[in-house]
Amino acid sequence: MDLSNILNISLIYATLRSATPLIYAAMCASITQQANILNVGTEGIMLTAAFFAVAVSYFTGAWYLGVLAAMIAGAFMALIMAVGHIKYKADITAIGIGVNVFALALTKFLMNVFFHKSGTFTHPDIDVIPRIKFNFPASWGEVPQLIENWPLTEWFVIVVLIALHVLFYKSIWGLRLRAIGQHPTAAESVGINVKSMKYQAMIISGMIGGLAGAHLSLGYGALFTENMTSNRGFMGVAAMYFGGADPLKTTVGCLVFGFADSIGARLQNLGMSPQLVLSMPYVVTVAVLAVTMASKLQAENKRKSALTKFR
Amino acid sequence: MQNAEQSTFISSLTRIILTILLSFFIGSIIILAIGENPLTVYGVLFSGAFKGQLGIGSTLAMFTPLLLTSTAFALAAQAGASNVGVEGEVFLGGLVAAYIAGFWTNLPKPLLYILAFGGAMLVGALWALIPALLRVYLRVSEICVTILMNSVAIFLASYFVAGPMSAGATFSQSPPAVIRLTQFFRPSRLNTGIFISIFAFVLMWVLMKKTTLGFRIRMTGTNPSFTETVGLKPKQSFIIAMMISGALGALAGCIEILGVHGTYLDNFGANLGTNGMLISLIVDNQIMGVPFMAFFLAILRNGAMAMQQATNVPKSIVDMISALFIIFATMNITFNFVSKRKKKLQAAASSADLLQETDGKIQSNAESEDQAHGSK
Repeated sequence: MDLSNILNISLIYATLRSATPLIYAAMCASITQQANILNVGTEGIMLTAAFFAVAVSYFTGAWYLGVLAAMIAGAFMALIMAVGHIKYKADITAIGIGVNVFALALTKFLMNVFFHKSGTFTHPDIDVIPRIKFNFPASWGEVPQLIENWPLTEWFVIVVLIALHVLFYKSIWGLRLRAIGQHPTAAESVGINVKSMKYQAMIISGMIGGLAGAHLSLGYGALFTENMTSNRGFMGVAAMYFGGADPLKTTVGCLVFGFADSIGARLQNLGMSPQLVLSMPYVVTVAVLAVTMASKLQAENKRKSALTKFR
Repeated sequence: MQNAEQSTFISSLTRIILTILLSFFIGSIIILAIGENPLTVYGVLFSGAFKGQLGIGSTLAMFTPLLLTSTAFALAAQAGASNVGVEGEVFLGGLVAAYIAGFWTNLPKPLLYILAFGGAMLVGALWALIPALLRVYLRVSEICVTILMNSVAIFLASYFVAGPMSAGATFSQSPPAVIRLTQFFRPSRLNTGIFISIFAFVLMWVLMKKTTLGFRIRMTGTNPSFTETVGLKPKQSFIIAMMISGALGALAGCIEILGVHGTYLDNFGANLGTNGMLISLIVDNQIMGVPFMAFFLAILRNGAMAMQQATNVPKSIVDMISALFIIFATMNITFNFVSKRKKKLQAAASSADLLQETDGKIQSNAESEDQAHGSK
């Protein structure tokens, strides 16, 4: 077994490529988590968006309309959850699961009705998200080639990350958002409209989830498959736990999962069972989640004992 | 107390029926948009589910695993756990049953039955133990863990059936099971598993309503800190509830393999766990409501096939309608509509009732309204 076949420079790109949809998903979950809403419906938002991205891109022939439709579809799914949870006091877990099941059924149904297909839909008329080419000369070596030919949305994730970081920690809106998440009553007493803030967070979350879906179906690939998100939404939620809803720390979690995914793909080339390889990112995610929460709990206990000590 | 319980039952029944009607109404709009007559489509859907011995038998055969998976989800939910992992436990239960019944063929048959059922349920329980422990001791969201573990379970099962457990056929299949559950309603695949399923449900109902353990599980779900204070060990109850839930899911898989397929087929249990979860969530995780909803969903799923053949409507519309159920059911929209008059009565209620109401508001609006109404 030659280790250089697994660990080489293109692994970096493979990791980034697998991590990008997860980062979008994790941002979708992070923004609502800042408002203390666990976005169980991330998966459903992504899946619906992925479908509408492909469908609109196919019918209009314009990728940007597909992305726009994906963002609207994502926001709509998030709005269902928001109305259910905020207005009608639905349990966020129950309605989140509901939205996920609904997304699965809706996309399957619409695929049957519009394309008379089940399983996978792909067509040359689907306009994919353009890829950015730098045309580095080959003499520059392997490293510049790493950023060659990325879909636009892979670059855009950096913009989203910086924007969310600024939004959360440098803006008044972000301060309010975190305030309603941590102390809703205190926030309300200083005149912040808690409900309105929660609605805003949910809708923005839906739009970012929409980008996640659009990237998955128009950037990462050029097709729509039933349940194509395959629990990436929940891996995003796990990464959000890992980073405590902080965009940059959360991204580290996504990169870990992306790494597990891409290294698995290489192990498969070396003859490891594909099923075991496919399950690897999920096992890693659960393990990372457990370790994260354990260390958080430990830190919390330390803080508590320190308080009792100095009291 | 009797009166209060009755009133809760009736109002939740009205709520469920209204939810169903609302979902079907939206379904009709979609069917109209496709250009079919909703009445014809629904007619074919329901008559298809009961057409002849095959129709009735298939509906009941569908009902068998759904009753188990929905009871599994509801039981965990009573302890405050969302065991989305039932889906994966179905697969693992089926896998273990197929392994024992297909490979340990030199053992006496009665022993094989015990080992197949026992082994499947044990593995299911242990699989559910992982998220339960992570939840109780490390506060890791059990929804996240169970969902991710579903993927692991399904990949693991398909690995075993394609590799170590393969019968050598070109497609993934294990050697035929030497023990079977009798199919008694030919040509449908209805088998004696339905009695096991119903028996398990009754057992769980008795457990939840009549035993101390059931009381502890329910207390854990409604008020864990109070349960802790009075020394009822909520952590232990949570873990036990998750394990029972896992065992029930695995039992469903075991019955499907021994009763319906007779061998492990890749992807045999797709959506059984998800639909069980759906059923349980629609009836607000009340064990008593589970069998009715499970039966209803079995009718829908079985009739969908006939509907797709007779009309232009794809059978996935049934998934749409059932997903709508769950969204409306969790929102309590329909209930709020009915209970507007009740609210007026409530305003005049005694201070004790109001206190009770504010207390209950944290959990759910609907429940508190019933309590206040019922205790008059």
